[in-house]
Amino acid sequence: MVTARHPLRWVAVAGVLVLLAMAASALITNPAWEWEIVGQYLFAPSVVRSVVLTLELTVMGIVLGFALGTLLALMRLSPNRLLSSVAWGYVWLFRSVPLILQLLFWYNLALLYPRLSFGVPFGPALFDIGTMDLIGPLTAAVLGLALHQAAYAAEIVRGGLLSVDHGQREAAAALGIPRARRLLRIILPQAMRTIVPNAGNEIIGLVKGTSVVYIMALPELFYQVQVIYNRNGRVMALLLVAAIWYLILTTALSIVQYYVERYYGRGRA
Amino acid sequence: MSGGSRTVRDRAPGDRALGDLVTGDGTAGGHAMVELRGVHKSFGPLHVLRGVDLTVEQGQVTVILGPSGSGKSTLLRTINHLEKVDRGSVRVGGRLLGYRQVGDRLHELSEREILRQRTQIGFVFQSFNLFPHLTVRQNLTEAPLSAQRRPRAEAEALAARLLERVGLADKADAYPRTLSGGQQQRVAIARALALEPALVLFDEPTSALDPELVGEVLEVMKDLARSGTTMIVVTHEIGFAREVADTVVFMDAGLVVESGPPAQVLDDPRHERTRAFIGKVL
Ligand SMILES: Nc1ncnc2c1ncn2[C@@H]1O[C@H](COP(=O)(O)OP(=O)(O)O)[C@@H](O)[C@H]1O
Ligand SMILES: [Mg+2]
Repeated sequence: MVTARHPLRWVAVAGVLVLLAMAASALITNPAWEWEIVGQYLFAPSVVRSVVLTLELTVMGIVLGFALGTLLALMRLSPNRLLSSVAWGYVWLFRSVPLILQLLFWYNLALLYPRLSFGVPFGPALFDIGTMDLIGPLTAAVLGLALHQAAYAAEIVRGGLLSVDHGQREAAAALGIPRARRLLRIILPQAMRTIVPNAGNEIIGLVKGTSVVYIMALPELFYQVQVIYNRNGRVMALLLVAAIWYLILTTALSIVQYYVERYYGRGRA
Repeated sequence: MSGGSRTVRDRAPGDRALGDLVTGDGTAGGHAMVELRGVHKSFGPLHVLRGVDLTVEQGQVTVILGPSGSGKSTLLRTINHLEKVDRGSVRVGGRLLGYRQVGDRLHELSEREILRQRTQIGFVFQSFNLFPHLTVRQNLTEAPLSAQRRPRAEAEALAARLLERVGLADKADAYPRTLSGGQQQRVAIARALALEPALVLFDEPTSALDPELVGEVLEVMKDLARSGTTMIVVTHEIGFAREVADTVVFMDAGLVVESGPPAQVLDDPRHERTRAFIGKVL
């Protein structure tokens, strides 16, 4: 019995190893991948700058998206009908419209409203600005990503808040803990246990999702490698550069996510 | 309504630590600690409380018995305004709960004032409801820090004293999930006491526990009772009622059927419904 345990499993392991070796050999030995070109462009200043922009777009999209999303989740859970309907409507609208369409919409907002003014609603304007000046491609991209992200974040945060046992709210209320403190100190940290894994997926999704802003000619990672291979024709090598960077970013984020999850899982066996 | 004696119990001389914690706040002028008059409460079509009267004097232990669904939890929850009453009044320490009376009109208190009233009333739940992401010490200091704005050193010293009192001094840094059910409920009692409440409400505090863990929780509650804390306890533990209660109240279908000293209600009930219930529980 000792020798013949799980023979099928060993066959499977051997098969997988052979396939992996073949894949590695196909990647390394085929000169068409042009590994020396990959090495040459991986840390090129323009590529590194585009990685930084990708990160900036991700961070702003996530931070603003989750800030607005949390607000929407609280509105949605509020007993006030108007607030919860507005939040529902927002999620419905922004989950229905494709991100790329929304980005183009913000980018071209100037066509609809050439000037934007801020001031008393329906009253006098305090200041007035050309839409083009206010919403450049970067602002349009951040706005689009954040508004899109907020719709998904709202659902994630709402799910997290609902996952917390009702007895927790009750105990906090019975102890006389102020409302805001109840939310921030008692409910949200427990909701984070469900929020973080889902938010992690969203963040990793957004790292790659930022690539759609290439349509606005913003030099993020994906746009930048296209610019370079259009110039030198090394398509596969530069796509590989982009793939490697996306892998690095998402791996780093997965590691961070692991520790954040562990932090919010404290006290649970 | 109170069929029990109206004398305020003396504090046992040896029980200094918890005795010090009991504030007799707002009970001057001959008011009872808790006074419910004609309390009605419905959930939609379900008429859960149908005109409950109840008086609890300071320092007394009142045990509420009754079949499941008779409105015992709802009654306790109205006493700290977790549930608003539809009709009738709830007074704690002589003060109307959740409302201010101006002439003969009632004005609802602000959220902040309601929270302040709640800090005078401890609540112990059947399912403990400890905060799982906070340590035992943090569970005990949270409300004193955020609801009463006490200095941290003071809140932590009080937490240490209370943990000592419930026999869990060595668990201050543990997370609730690592404790047994009996230990968790003792922490929950200590957490309720950390507000130094004038009144502590218990909703079936031993019903979620394995039988061998019930005793340790009842011991802590008896100790509290001896120290003169005003307590209202919903429980099915007849032995506890017999030994500790000043008054036993029997509820059925949203009404107080009868109340009186334990010997009378438990051994010689006047009402058929009480007799039937006690017969089943014993
Ligand atoms: N928040 C609520 N909404 C609707 N029904 C409720 C609510 N709380 C309690 N009830 C109902 O009120 C009745 C009395 O409940 P409860 O006070 O918990 O009784 P007990 O504690 O004596 O078992 C039950 O039928 C229960 O289902
Ligand atoms: Mg109950």
